[in-house]
Amino acid sequence: MNKRLPLGLGFVLLVLPCSLLVAFTHYPAIKALVNSLWNNSSSFRPSRFVGLENYRALLEDDRLAQVLTNSTIYAICTVPLAIGLSIGMALLVNSKLPGTWLMRLSFFMPTMLPLVAVANIWLFFYAPGIGLASQILSAFGLPSINFLGRTDTSLVSMMVVAIWKEAGLFMIFYLAALQSIPANLKDAARLEGAGSVRVFFDVVLPLLRPTTIFVAVNALINAFRLVDHIIVMTRGGPNNSSALLLYYVYEVTFGHRDFAYGATLTVLMVVILGILAAFQFWVLNRKAHYQ
Amino acid sequence: MTLRNNTALALVAGGLFGLQGAAVSAADLEFYFPVGVNAPAVETIQALTDEWAAANPQHNVKAVYAGNYEETTTKALTAAAAGDPPQVAVLLAIDIFTLIEEGAVLPISDIADSPEEQEWLAGFYDGFMNDTKFDGKIYSVPFQRSTPVFYYNKDAFREAGLDPEAPPKTWAEMIEMGKTLTKRDANGNVTQWGTRIPTLGLGGAWLFGGLVVSKGDVLSTETGTEARINTPATIASLEFLQQLSAEGVMAPGGISWGDTPKAFLEGQTASMWTSTGNLAFVNENATFDWGVGFLPGGDGPGAPVGGGNFYIFSNTTPEEQEAALDFIKFMTSADAAARWSIATGYVAPRPDTWETPVMKEYAERLPQALVALDQLPHAEREFATFQRAKVTQYLVEAIEGVVTGSKSAADAVTEAQEKADAVLKDYR
Amino acid sequence: MNKPADTSFGNATAAVSLEVRNLRKSWGKTEVLSDVSFRIGAGGFLTLLGPSGCGKSTLLRLISGLDETSGGQILIDGRDVSKVSAADRNLGMVFQNYALFPHLTIEENIGYGLKIRKVDKTRRDKTIARVSDLMGLGPLLQRKPSQLSGGQQQRVALARVLVSERPLVLMDEPLSNLDAKLRTEIRSEIRSLNKTLGITVIYVTHDQSEALSMSDEVVLLNAGKIAQWGTPRDLYESPANTFSASFIGTPPTNLLEPADVALPENLGLDGGTALTDYLIGVRPETMCFPADGAAFTLTGRVLSLEYEGNVTLLHLEAASGAKVIVAHGGHDVPAPGAEVTVGWSHEATHFFSKKDGAAIRRKT
Repeated sequence: MNKRLPLGLGFVLLVLPCSLLVAFTHYPAIKALVNSLWNNSSSFRPSRFVGLENYRALLEDDRLAQVLTNSTIYAICTVPLAIGLSIGMALLVNSKLPGTWLMRLSFFMPTMLPLVAVANIWLFFYAPGIGLASQILSAFGLPSINFLGRTDTSLVSMMVVAIWKEAGLFMIFYLAALQSIPANLKDAARLEGAGSVRVFFDVVLPLLRPTTIFVAVNALINAFRLVDHIIVMTRGGPNNSSALLLYYVYEVTFGHRDFAYGATLTVLMVVILGILAAFQFWVLNRKAHYQ
Repeated sequence: MTLRNNTALALVAGGLFGLQGAAVSAADLEFYFPVGVNAPAVETIQALTDEWAAANPQHNVKAVYAGNYEETTTKALTAAAAGDPPQVAVLLAIDIFTLIEEGAVLPISDIADSPEEQEWLAGFYDGFMNDTKFDGKIYSVPFQRSTPVFYYNKDAFREAGLDPEAPPKTWAEMIEMGKTLTKRDANGNVTQWGTRIPTLGLGGAWLFGGLVVSKGDVLSTETGTEARINTPATIASLEFLQQLSAEGVMAPGGISWGDTPKAFLEGQTASMWTSTGNLAFVNENATFDWGVGFLPGGDGPGAPVGGGNFYIFSNTTPEEQEAALDFIKFMTSADAAARWSIATGYVAPRPDTWETPVMKEYAERLPQALVALDQLPHAEREFATFQRAKVTQYLVEAIEGVVTGSKSAADAVTEAQEKADAVLKDYR
Repeated sequence: MNKPADTSFGNATAAVSLEVRNLRKSWGKTEVLSDVSFRIGAGGFLTLLGPSGCGKSTLLRLISGLDETSGGQILIDGRDVSKVSAADRNLGMVFQNYALFPHLTIEENIGYGLKIRKVDKTRRDKTIARVSDLMGLGPLLQRKPSQLSGGQQQRVALARVLVSERPLVLMDEPLSNLDAKLRTEIRSEIRSLNKTLGITVIYVTHDQSEALSMSDEVVLLNAGKIAQWGTPRDLYESPANTFSASFIGTPPTNLLEPADVALPENLGLDGGTALTDYLIGVRPETMCFPADGAAFTLTGRVLSLEYEGNVTLLHLEAASGAKVIVAHGGHDVPAPGAEVTVGWSHEATHFFSKKDGAAIRRKT
């Protein structure tokens, strides 16, 4: 580009994206911050500036503590498992086995479905007694498990749904990455005496690293961002065992209509995501390229 | 009717000022409604709305399906906050305090102020009217009301050597009969449970209200500022739920609302506690002989009422309010209510509906539908307070904590009561 | 190569011979290699030459063991390895685009094979140091491949093969990504490694000048079959068929109808050979202008001239319309459009059967 845009035109072109950014990102974020410093007013309770009172409530909120614990476990488990599963599926689909197109299709299918639909499918799958999971268990003579009705299985059940839903998409990224790995790198390793496991860990996996980082970022964001299945399947229950942070924000804000505390939780979430994003950019800048 | 007069006046005024306004409509109504049952509800609502519109050509009405109850409330309140409320909506009866606190709704008893209208308001079953009132005024009109009943598989009763015409009436009978009804396979795994009471989420909290009523107490009162979570009745009710699992009558852990009818239809359970709203669904899909009875009770029969009522929103013109009232009267009229009740299984809220030929024929064809009506005198209001969603969440946590075995009944209710009181103290 | 001659390669395994017998390869129903047989002695340098798609890279992969044969045998030092895995054939390979591991440093790339084979660290470091010294890579060891030039990367690829001390090394067009100057330079390095270290090299290229200049023996492949196997001199001077004659040499051998040529009395062919049975092959650089009493002459019109420095290419059109190229070394260049007569000797003349393109041996 040698020709320079006239300053006026440049300014005009910048106004639209900037105003969108301000209107839909910055303004709501600042508004949330402001709201978090006020009480939840209604016709019965006058609006009142409360300072950091809502933030003090965060510290005393034992439900929040559980939700944060759940979210952490959820992220720590779903991210690596989704990555591992999607690499495995991509390897399988990328192999020379017959019927790979069918596998590709079936692995990718969950990704195309809306999460709400996926949740409804799994709701039926998990239904104790009548669901597929119970029927499989009973085929082995095992008692059926009330997956969504037990505090020790509900969160895991949510993770399985999320992984099942996400792995298909990540598989596509890995498939593209696998196909871009030059075959002669693997040949070179094989000639040096590396078996297929060694080739995978020495050559394939390191070359997938940029994809892995990209996928990990997405999976981590999704771990905080996607809660549709929680709303459909457990509503955070039983006894908050499957409640995640965003679900809690949603419930407090729109269920309890406690906009002040909802805003406070939103600010907390923005801070957490901001820290994660900063960490990821740092990792991305350091690790994603072979320069 | 004032409305007609206003219209006439408007027409005259229009003529005087030379405004040749053809088909002037006195009111544009927007009507939000939810669907909460497995039934062709949207079509029926639309058909009824169209009929009212055809009979009242001077008005416009647009029926807006707004999702489930919760979504409909959120949408209506958001629209109200934005200054563009629906004129009329069907929302949960228990949302009365939230709607009042937000200043979103008007007392219907103030709009329906003529003697005939007052008489019309008095013509609903009392059981459905006790959760429409606040501060001496009526804020809503019962429409899609339901109450849970005890559904049971008569074939399973026969197979277990029980009298299929004598379902359990008390908790003790429930446990005794339930033990006989529970079947196990060769591995000792249960293939048919004795009963199934949803214990998770809001559905679980609703049914729990019935247990408490049967122990002679209520969870909340008309004031909206009182939550009675820590009482001997609630503890006894929680212990009953624990006992059902401990005695092997009911599956351990939390039991979901949504799976329950399916589990009953598939023979996974010999009986279930669920809404009359599922009558039509069960009737269409049951492959066995089934019956309906009162909910087994602790000290006597007891049940909660639930479901949705009509509300008229504030920030609307008097013309719109009158038109909305007329619309509500039409929707709850004997004929309309009969059709709605037959299509969905909701309990028609006025005695006159049950006198119509179609309803009589329906009751003959599906005598189970009458059980809910007979149970109505024993029914009490559903748990409702100010900050309903938040306070109910404490109740839900208590129930879920107990049935999943993570809390004792006494600890759970104490904790929930403290939290509820902390929220409600602002309103006392 | 920095200091080639005096760098002894320690106790490298003694060089090995390679023999390929009746090798076949098909992908599905398509046969890409049929009945290929050749042999190269220990320490020899054999080039697989041919146009793209002739099967030379496939053949190399079969020898390496990266692909499986469909029939025939591969013998290394007399042992049939056609069912032995690539890793156990004790051979190294240099790939066309070097196949360096982009995530490893140069040092790790070179030492990868040693690490796999669990060579202990001290010995590994020593070997890497020696080879990187030999290849002039010492200062680059801690860099990543992407930080190296093409020539440096090529040296790393060679070093990676050398460090494994394999007696047999396969090279798949290793110079094709380099510029002309670098190519000549590395060409002689490879040749010298082959000689000084006694490694047997199988080298794949489509570049005949590489093949002719580096090899002890050349296998010329055409459409999955061997067109000719011999020394570079054999290929150039005694092409076994018209394919060989036209593939080797730049510009290619002229293949002429005898009718276009003024023939001498005695051609040395069988009595029964008719004029229509054979073609005459003659290399442009063996033709002289003016004809000056040469045994064979051809008269044609100059269509165009191509000045190439050492020679000028005369593009002629014979009476029949056939095109002929003459590489003319003199300065007396005819003008385009001029009628000229060019000639050549008996020795420069090749005869090929019109039927199958095979060379016709002259009676001597």
